[in-house]
Amino acid sequence: MVVLVFSQLIAFKHVKPGGCTYNLLMRINNNLNNGCLYSTEVSKKIDANDLDANENTKMSKAMKAYLERAKAYDDFIKTEENNYNLGKLHLSNMMGVKSTNFTQIDVDKAIRYLFPSGLYDKKARPIMKHPKDIFPVKKAAQFDSTGRPYHSMFYTTKPHYYKALYDVVECMHLLDATEDKLIKNDNHILVPIDLSNSQWVNQENLEGLLVEKISTEQEYFISSIEKLCQHPLANDVKDFIMIYRKLKQSVMQNSTIPELMYDSNNRPYILVTDCMRKNARGEVLVIGQGSGKITVNGLPMVNYFKNLQEREQIIFPLHFTDMMDRVDVEARITGGGPSGQSGAIRWGIAWALRSFVDLNMIQKMKVAGLITRDWRIRERKKPGQEGARRKFTWKKR
Amino acid sequence: CRSKESIRCYSVFPKHYTKPIFRKEEQDELVTNEKFQAATYLSFKPACIDETSSEFYDPLVSKFINYLIKQGKKSSARYLLERAFLSIKMIQLQAYNSCDSNDKEKIELDPKVILRNAVENAKPVMELTQIKRAGQVYKVPIPIDSRRSRLLAIRWLIQAAKEKTRTDFLYDRLAHELIQAHNNQGRTIKKKQELYKQCQANKSYAHFRW
Repeated sequence: MVVLVFSQLIAFKHVKPGGCTYNLLMRINNNLNNGCLYSTEVSKKIDANDLDANENTKMSKAMKAYLERAKAYDDFIKTEENNYNLGKLHLSNMMGVKSTNFTQIDVDKAIRYLFPSGLYDKKARPIMKHPKDIFPVKKAAQFDSTGRPYHSMFYTTKPHYYKALYDVVECMHLLDATEDKLIKNDNHILVPIDLSNSQWVNQENLEGLLVEKISTEQEYFISSIEKLCQHPLANDVKDFIMIYRKLKQSVMQNSTIPELMYDSNNRPYILVTDCMRKNARGEVLVIGQGSGKITVNGLPMVNYFKNLQEREQIIFPLHFTDMMDRVDVEARITGGGPSGQSGAIRWGIAWALRSFVDLNMIQKMKVAGLITRDWRIRERKKPGQEGARRKFTWKKR
Repeated sequence: CRSKESIRCYSVFPKHYTKPIFRKEEQDELVTNEKFQAATYLSFKPACIDETSSEFYDPLVSKFINYLIKQGKKSSARYLLERAFLSIKMIQLQAYNSCDSNDKEKIELDPKVILRNAVENAKPVMELTQIKRAGQVYKVPIPIDSRRSRLLAIRWLIQAAKEKTRTDFLYDRLAHELIQAHNNQGRTIKKKQELYKQCQANKSYAHFRW
């Protein structure tokens, strides 16, 4: 992966052949080509056959130990695999299905049927899966038969992580050099780096990228690469930066907006079920070509809600989208108190109005915090405490 | 909220969720600032229960209501402040009608403007904190930020209203206090000046701040 990045860096805008930055890049590239010194990929497994062939040559103790471990692991996985296949055969017989058509999904179904479990946590229920899905994969040897490590940073214990840090600094030096040159040549045109549509990868993904376990190092790495982003020429190494960033999804992408439906009077309407806030549950019907009538449980809104705050909340999405006198709203709501009920209706109206307005307005509603559901709930009281968080007054004696 | 392990968690909004911008004017500004495109990728918290796009919404007023709340009864706190606004309007209108035509321009009739001016006038710039040095506790004057000074101003206004004689209603007392603070008079302003005097007296301890 890193190989790719640097070959892209060769196509660097300002770098000319013969310059010092060019030489630097060529050096890195040559290093990469010669014996994959900086590769992130897990190195090839050395087979036991190779061992026999190289018996005459000197073999390090580490390599021997590794080969023993690898052999034991492979044997273990093989026996587990046999057991799994046998179990699958038995299950297919019990369920009366041909064993050739019996997939993992069928296995899960059969287990659920034959071993019904009332346990709450899904992890605690009985499972049957391929051993490769259950037992963690072991890392292949990072050194050759003489015991010499492939990676130059092997003895840091986290070679790929430190290599990534090293690359960040390398990029920084490179950018500094090109900046100097640009200032000298007096053609200093800067394109600021735009990273608004992406975010840094989380720890889990970074571990996947580096094939290493990291914990607090992630923060340090992100803060280092953020320094690189602040460089005025950071746009030139965007490809390198984007390896460690994940594209964000905009609100339009992850939710589908339903089409308007038409009733017997040919009026458009949208019904939103499952409107909830606090303990209130209900549904909201928004009908187009209306005159601004709002009813809650059959009563006019003004009669149902006594306080101004609740009325304001219900009108909020209608006022925000200027649809106050263009739609009718009918809400049915149960449970909870007035503020929970009004909040649930507010969300229901906003959710339904998405079908009545254009995309730009939906975006505005999102920024206004109307689309997001307020799923906060009352925190439970804890034993040994006065309330959810408050402790009893403590007396020494 | 249900997390991956289907365990209930209470603080439901992740850290990257930002505060919503629910006023129409502020949103229009955002569009002209060209930050709107970046906003398409942000996640927003839901607007609070007292926030609306209505032109009657005032952040200072809702803050004041929140400081007036007792035992979680927001509706009665809101009622109190609204009645206080009514009293302010009545008092100011009476003054307006009874004075000469030359002085009429000076009398402010908008209760919200009076509230804003009252809080602005009551805001302190410095505060005394207790700092222990060499076994002795010193009162050291320190500068405070705008949030803290607003908190103190509102708290003093409410306290001053509650301290007054209990013959009339709290909203009437609050109305009087707000008008007086608007004119740079009254208990709240006195309290602020007393604090300044103490700060002046203790200024020799100012170096204990570091």
